[in-house]
Amino acid sequence: MTPRLSLTGIDKSYGSTQVLHGVSFAVQPGEVHGLLGENGAGKSTLLNVLSGVIRADAGVIEIDGKPVSIASPREATAAGIAMIHQELQQVPELSVAQNIFLGGALRRMGGLLVDRAAQEAEAQRLLAPLDPGIDVTAPVRTLRVAQRQIVEMAKALRANARIIAMDEPTSSLTPNEFERLVQVVAKLTAQGVSIIYVSHKMDEVFRLCRQATILRDGRRVGQVPIPETGVRQVIELMVGRELAKASHHGFATDKAVLTVQGLSRGRAVQDASFTLHAGEVLGIAGLVGAGRTELLRLIAGVDRADAGRILIEGQPVAAGPRARIRAGLGLVPEERKRDGIIRHRPITTNIGLPAMRRFSRLGLIRKGMLRNRSEDLMREVGLRPLDVSRAIGSFSGGNQQKAIIGRWLAADTRIFLFDEPTRGIDVGAKAEIYDLIERLAREGRAVIVVSSELTEVIRVSDRVLVMREGRISATLGPGEINEATIARAAIPAS
Amino acid sequence: MNSMTQSPLLSRIKFREAGTLLGLILIGAVFAWQSDTFLTTPNIINILQQSSINACIALGMTLVIISGGIDLSVGPVAALSAVLGAAMLVAGVPVPLAILGALAVGVFCGFVNGALITWGGLQPFIVTLGGLSLYRALALIYTGGTPIFGLPDEFRALTNGSVLGVPNPVIVVAILAVLAWVILNKSPLGEYFMAVGGNPEAARIAGVPVTLTRQMAYMISGFMAAVAAMILIGRLGAAEPTLGTLWELDAIAAAAIGGASLMGGRGSIFGTLIGAIILGTLRNGLTLMNVQAFYQLLATGIIIIVAMLIDKLTSGKQG
Repeated sequence: MTPRLSLTGIDKSYGSTQVLHGVSFAVQPGEVHGLLGENGAGKSTLLNVLSGVIRADAGVIEIDGKPVSIASPREATAAGIAMIHQELQQVPELSVAQNIFLGGALRRMGGLLVDRAAQEAEAQRLLAPLDPGIDVTAPVRTLRVAQRQIVEMAKALRANARIIAMDEPTSSLTPNEFERLVQVVAKLTAQGVSIIYVSHKMDEVFRLCRQATILRDGRRVGQVPIPETGVRQVIELMVGRELAKASHHGFATDKAVLTVQGLSRGRAVQDASFTLHAGEVLGIAGLVGAGRTELLRLIAGVDRADAGRILIEGQPVAAGPRARIRAGLGLVPEERKRDGIIRHRPITTNIGLPAMRRFSRLGLIRKGMLRNRSEDLMREVGLRPLDVSRAIGSFSGGNQQKAIIGRWLAADTRIFLFDEPTRGIDVGAKAEIYDLIERLAREGRAVIVVSSELTEVIRVSDRVLVMREGRISATLGPGEINEATIARAAIPAS
Repeated sequence: MNSMTQSPLLSRIKFREAGTLLGLILIGAVFAWQSDTFLTTPNIINILQQSSINACIALGMTLVIISGGIDLSVGPVAALSAVLGAAMLVAGVPVPLAILGALAVGVFCGFVNGALITWGGLQPFIVTLGGLSLYRALALIYTGGTPIFGLPDEFRALTNGSVLGVPNPVIVVAILAVLAWVILNKSPLGEYFMAVGGNPEAARIAGVPVTLTRQMAYMISGFMAAVAAMILIGRLGAAEPTLGTLWELDAIAAAAIGGASLMGGRGSIFGTLIGAIILGTLRNGLTLMNVQAFYQLLATGIIIIVAMLIDKLTSGKQG
């Protein structure tokens, strides 16, 4: 059978960094094909080549066996390719019908006026098989995320798309909405549309896809049938090595390094007290809004406490991030883009910021020293590509996270505060972050991990604090940590 | 990995600086073709001298812009430093002391701007817009609106002298440019400017002294304004309370032509210098060609907009 879409030998470089090495990829008509790989593996670049956002340096794209040139998003649309981005590209104030016809309105009176009635009728016709419940005259902002995705699919159908690429479509969907998406995808494929499905979530990939192409470091590792190939094997192909075992080794000592006493801020954090020991990984679990991030920010000195104090190795520490950093604390924030990275600056600067004095002599930065230290640290943590003079913003989320961890390693931080350390990071890089957390504990540093993923908390923690409505509602020791105990302490009694 | 490896970011900045330089060469080539006197040593020295005041202001402005701010008050700060410095000189204060006093006035004004922005939590645009009126008013009130004449020759000799044919103001600004370059590219403060301008919240969490960094930017800008004031009153022999009108716009233009992003986080000292020289060259060349002042203004506006358009087009999607 001639594939609906085939890409052969796609190369792409940015400067001296080659991000795609002769990647080939084929999708059959009516197939849901998974495109899997870690962050930085080249998935986004490949999608961008396919949708005409960037041009490949070499390679051939064929549709139904005929070579096509895709030099712009417009040509991609003309070739029957539609992209559904993670961040939906819609105008919230316009109606569903207007969004579907954005850029190609139906007209009347010789093209002078937009034919709203015709647009709405056509939008209704396109949406009927997908989700007849959507009101085509309603502004898009009133729709749920799942419905907005369905609107995007209708827009793709209206452009006669035969190939729809979905980039992480479920990152903001509830389980019910995902079921709805599964049904819609089934209807689309029944019409012969091919779907390229990019996701980190293995359960979804296994639910939807029959075939998957796996990328690693810009190369195609292979195409595997699903579900014949097991989850573990797929992940190992993505990561290129065997996964670290899930159990955490305790390195906790009884030497207290951080003592938190009665820390409070408004209603967000009320009277938090606990002790953290050298070599210990302390998980903080709880529902969203329970005050976990706020507690971490108070400890890091980023926000000011109304009451309470913290002691590091028995000594009280002054307020403000600088004093806390000097005392040995380092925060790895959840929102990397907003709170973590200086996007335009190289990895070296992003690593050196808290420890500039250490990397300076006579008021001047010792750039060679900073560079060597950064490179050593980044080699240890596995930065890919290992180019520390590149702007941090050009790296994937997982690699940015490694650089932020490297920042605190360079500053000889003894107490690491992680806020959702694997948010927005894919499976393989996740395992690497867990390995790093374990390494920190092994080296005798103390670690706090705030996480919304129960499996993550259970996996990394020696001890778990559970927060509920601003207060610490339970402290779970080894042997008490499981989903049931955490959930019981996290959910408010009503 | 060797030190020759160039990141896309670094090569982009160098690329941008080379582009500004190319622009200057192109403009110079047109004038050299149109006018016989343009490409002569006296005229080139003349251009450098005429550009030195704007370059001086623009150096400080560049650091402020990189740190995510703007300083609209540079002209009036210069005027206030000028009249207070001149008053000291006329009153017989020793020249070095009077100069130090005038520079201290500039630094103090910058400190006030910075304090209102950091401690007061106000927008840089608004604070320095207020400063624009405030410092001008102080200069006018102090002098009653009349210029201060009779600056000692000893002082005037400093700004009117030259070394090996290069006027002293050009040498002073060149030295300040080297210092500014070292601060921006080699010192922790420079990294702090770029970090605070690029992402203030992330910089704070990473332990950057954000308040101090911002303060320093405005104090350096005030210092540069005072230096420019000294150069100007030395040349004129008098201090007018109205001097420095619209200096802030020329300085912002030089910084922008040189590649500074008004969003903060990015900019180049070398680029700013070339930007200031481009503006000076334009005025000089058009005067040599007997183009009317109104048309000179028109040309300046066009150059700024063309520079920004080229910037936008060449930076592509990275911007």
